[in-house]
Amino acid sequence: MAAPMALTRNMCSFARIFVGISQLGTRNLSVYRDRRSCKLIRSHLQLTSSTSFHTGTVLSSTPSSITVTDEPDALFQKVSVLVKGHDRAVLDSYEFFATMAAKELGITLGKVFEPPKNIERLTLLKSIHIFKKHRVQYEMRTHYRCIELSQITGSTAQVYLEYIQRNLPEGVAMEVSKTAIEKVPQHILEPMWKDQPTDDKSSQ
Amino acid sequence: MAAHTSKAFLSLGRINGPGLGFHNSLTRVTYATALSTTNSTGNKGFPDRGNRGAFVRKPRREAGEPRTEKMAVNQDWTAVYSAAAPFKPGSVPLPVRMGYPVKGGVPPEKKGNLELIKIPNFLHLTPAAIKKHCEALKPFCTEWPSALDTEATLDEHFPIKLESTDYISAGTSVRNPSARIVHLKVKLSRLNLDDHARKKMLRLVGDRYCKDTDILTIRADSCPLRQQNYEYAMYLLTVLYHESWKTESWEAERTAADMDEYSWEDSPSQKNILDTLAHMKMAGEGEGEAVREELLGRPEVQEYRDSVMRLKNEGESESSMHQYREAVKKVLNL
Repeated sequence: MAAPMALTRNMCSFARIFVGISQLGTRNLSVYRDRRSCKLIRSHLQLTSSTSFHTGTVLSSTPSSITVTDEPDALFQKVSVLVKGHDRAVLDSYEFFATMAAKELGITLGKVFEPPKNIERLTLLKSIHIFKKHRVQYEMRTHYRCIELSQITGSTAQVYLEYIQRNLPEGVAMEVSKTAIEKVPQHILEPMWKDQPTDDKSSQ
Repeated sequence: MAAHTSKAFLSLGRINGPGLGFHNSLTRVTYATALSTTNSTGNKGFPDRGNRGAFVRKPRREAGEPRTEKMAVNQDWTAVYSAAAPFKPGSVPLPVRMGYPVKGGVPPEKKGNLELIKIPNFLHLTPAAIKKHCEALKPFCTEWPSALDTEATLDEHFPIKLESTDYISAGTSVRNPSARIVHLKVKLSRLNLDDHARKKMLRLVGDRYCKDTDILTIRADSCPLRQQNYEYAMYLLTVLYHESWKTESWEAERTAADMDEYSWEDSPSQKNILDTLAHMKMAGEGEGEAVREELLGRPEVQEYRDSVMRLKNEGESESSMHQYREAVKKVLNL
């Protein structure tokens, strides 16, 4: 049997996010084309009806057409994924998953390291009234894990981050810092006063 | 099998899991309840009240043997755990034990073990599953352009760097107000600025410029959306650039105290050294502008000029004081 249920679900959600789902002749999706300039990679999916894993449904997981558009892809010099959780073992497993996914998708990994944990401690009164000498202490431990990806394109980053975030375990938070790089915009290449020597006070 | 080793790794990691804040309650095995298989055949619930169609519950079926007995060793694990699901002891064919051991005993078994259900499991993300997912995701990825392999080429063609952060956490809201902040970093050497424009730009931005790395950082956080902050940051950069090329009429009123760097020309130091040298040579030649010009052209005077400028601009240090000393000795022929 081919890819399981979760894969279908993941693919469906990917498709919903992309603007306009182009579809060539299957029943369930509506034909819709976005004529505006905002175009991204679109995919074509086929939904299956049965979802039981005993029957071994055959579903075509490969889309029949992926359209690539002319809009230039964003470029990220560095994408830093910091995950925070209370359980170090969960973060270990998640790091294994994230690094393996990056390797499979062909993303260059930068550093993968563990920032030191942070323990917040509280000392509270044990009783609701008096008994000042009897207290109870709590602590909250936050473990961190940082995975840095370098030189990644916008589409790949979107795919990878969505995959990672959908499989984020319960009780784990994430911060993603992206450094996008851009060319110097056209209007900053030359000063605008060069052609207007007499007009010093021209407003923009 | 790879799936088993990863799960064994997971189970090993989690046996040490709970220990914080739990006191002696774990010595009692109250949380790990074994299902009682009572043989209660016949009608449960209310007893028959005299043939009046009493409420009869369906006879309870016996639970069969768990699925793990019927699993083949080479089965497709991605079909068993295809999505994130809680730990089901009847579906995971591993002899996992978790929890604080009974006194003189072992951690409790997996059947009816709440600890195994509580923690997140990665049974749906075995290496085989990850490979399958990535195979399906591959067509949506694009390659990094091969021409941009070094940092230098990146800086040359794409000098503007925009940093922003996304936050994901569990809570009542998906929004995080810190996600609107945008940092725009650009090296001033990559912008088309002449000398005056660069100095004016540095005055305009103040603290936002780092001299060591030559990077101007603009932090935009005044708008509620990231797109707005990005546009504002680009607008600020554009305005700074064009304003720094402008020369206002009042810029001509700069005094010596406003200058960024010390310049030796028309300074008291120049006057003093020329007066001193002219007095020394008074006997030899006549006075006048020509003498001063000639004095200025001399290499010792130039050296003196360099050392004074270095002292004033870079501050006092061992080497700069030494240079000044040598220059003075040469000029005054000591």
